[in-house]
Amino acid sequence: MSFLLNGFFQAIELLASGNAETYSAIFVTVKVSSYSMTCSLVMGIPLGFCLGYFDFRGKKPFRTIIDTLMALPTVFIGLLVYAFLTSRGPFGGFGLLFTVPGIAIGQTILALPIVMGLTATAVENMDEKLRITILSMGANRRQLFLSSLWETRHGILAGAVVAYGRVMTEVGISMMVGGNIKWHTRTITTAIALETNKGQFAMGIALGLVLLTIAFCVNVSVALLRRRT
Amino acid sequence: MEEAVYKIRSLKHSYCGQTVLSIDHLTIKPASIVGLVGPNGSGKSTLLRLLGLIEKPAEGEIRFNGRAVEPFSHNARFQITLLPQEPFLMRRSVFRNVAYGLRLRGDSVNAIERVDEALAMVGLSSEKFSRRPWYALSGGEAQRVALAARLVLRPKVLLLDEPTASVDAASAQLIREVSLKAREELNTTVIVASHDRQWLYEVCDEILHMVKGRIFEKGHENILFGPWTKLGPDLWGKKLSDKQYIRIPAPPNDDVAAILDGLSFAGDDETIDDRKFVLRGVVTRFNLERNSGRLFATVLVENQAFTLELTNQQAEERTVFPGKTISICYDPDHMRWI
Repeated sequence: MSFLLNGFFQAIELLASGNAETYSAIFVTVKVSSYSMTCSLVMGIPLGFCLGYFDFRGKKPFRTIIDTLMALPTVFIGLLVYAFLTSRGPFGGFGLLFTVPGIAIGQTILALPIVMGLTATAVENMDEKLRITILSMGANRRQLFLSSLWETRHGILAGAVVAYGRVMTEVGISMMVGGNIKWHTRTITTAIALETNKGQFAMGIALGLVLLTIAFCVNVSVALLRRRT
Repeated sequence: MEEAVYKIRSLKHSYCGQTVLSIDHLTIKPASIVGLVGPNGSGKSTLLRLLGLIEKPAEGEIRFNGRAVEPFSHNARFQITLLPQEPFLMRRSVFRNVAYGLRLRGDSVNAIERVDEALAMVGLSSEKFSRRPWYALSGGEAQRVALAARLVLRPKVLLLDEPTASVDAASAQLIREVSLKAREELNTTVIVASHDRQWLYEVCDEILHMVKGRIFEKGHENILFGPWTKLGPDLWGKKLSDKQYIRIPAPPNDDVAAILDGLSFAGDDETIDDRKFVLRGVVTRFNLERNSGRLFATVLVENQAFTLELTNQQAEERTVFPGKTISICYDPDHMRWI
């Protein structure tokens, strides 16, 4: 077990010394997850709200599809996105394969159903009396939407945290769509996989610690946000 | 002549294909207090939700101050407010809950003073309650905060759905007083659904009886509900005890409800028409109708309550008082099926 302990100390050293390769992976991870989370939240919250709030024909089968997509394997998403972005694919001309935006597209596909599904669940669990109260105060449609959204914020936030967790920790999409190119598309998770294969435990552990720290920071921020509101 | 605040025509509403409300015509005068009485499931809350523009009726039209309205109607949504039976407070302080409606209107002028005033109207000190979070209130306090959140809007119409059903006696009394004050001070039309008939008789200008989604009577008629059983040849009725039955002519079906007209006081020494049936029950309370001065006694025959109109002379001469057992009689031919 001593190699693990040694790896831990070397990891601290790598982070403290500002190792460029390590920080490049961290930077790419933060960048790509920010892109994908922004897209999935901007699209997923309104769509999830509509899915949970309104009754329409085909709602149940649609909901089942969204719930199924919440469990999509990342390598399968990677495969599909690769097929679409490769030079022989329909979007090959955009040159997005092996780029950060290419990974972000795949991660958006991963996070979007989670944000939509958990937002819809939060809205479905919303107390009917809330809607009556907001309407009885004279709200217009926009105010009803925003007030309902605000009152279900904790459920939506929980959905966003779950989606962020999946995006941060996925390997399949980053590896297949990004290609794990050093300095360009290498993320924390693909770097861990590569370094472990090479027997470089120190860098793997260092990057794992960073992932844990980011996850911890996100959860503390969310907890503080919940307490403040 | 002052224009009606509400005019309803051919209103119908249904849930899951089942009609729960059907009103051909209804007019409500401005600055009046209107009571809705009826059993659970009679459509009182549905009517209030439609009048409160919470839901759109399946059919028909609601006109408010002469204009057809529906949910989100700009001319009406700031003038009508509904207090549901179970208060719902948003996850924020009492102050922010009461000021919520003002914020929706973009009306922040003297908001602090107006919220304080509304809280004072419902008997809550702003110093003590303003900063309290929503979860630190008792059921009665939450109901009063919810009422304050409506009163601060100075509504033209205040719809109250069983406002005293889940609060203690003191809170109930306060809510009753505030509802009257809203009419007197703000010239608000108050429409209230309640099982508290005594209160409704005291304060209402008009009482509407609702049964199975329809308004049947405007008054104090007795409505009897089935199921009816066959008691003998050509005789149907409902057993109240071993000795007493409500007897009725053959009903169209065994679950039909009936309006009983012409219930009258029957002294023990009076000769009673052969066609009438007599029931003996205990007077449980008196109600004096505020506007007309008419006197009503609630007579409990086993578990069935009847409302009996009495003259002052009858009450005095027969020394009718709560707790006294009296006889009442009715003519089964004066029964209308609904």
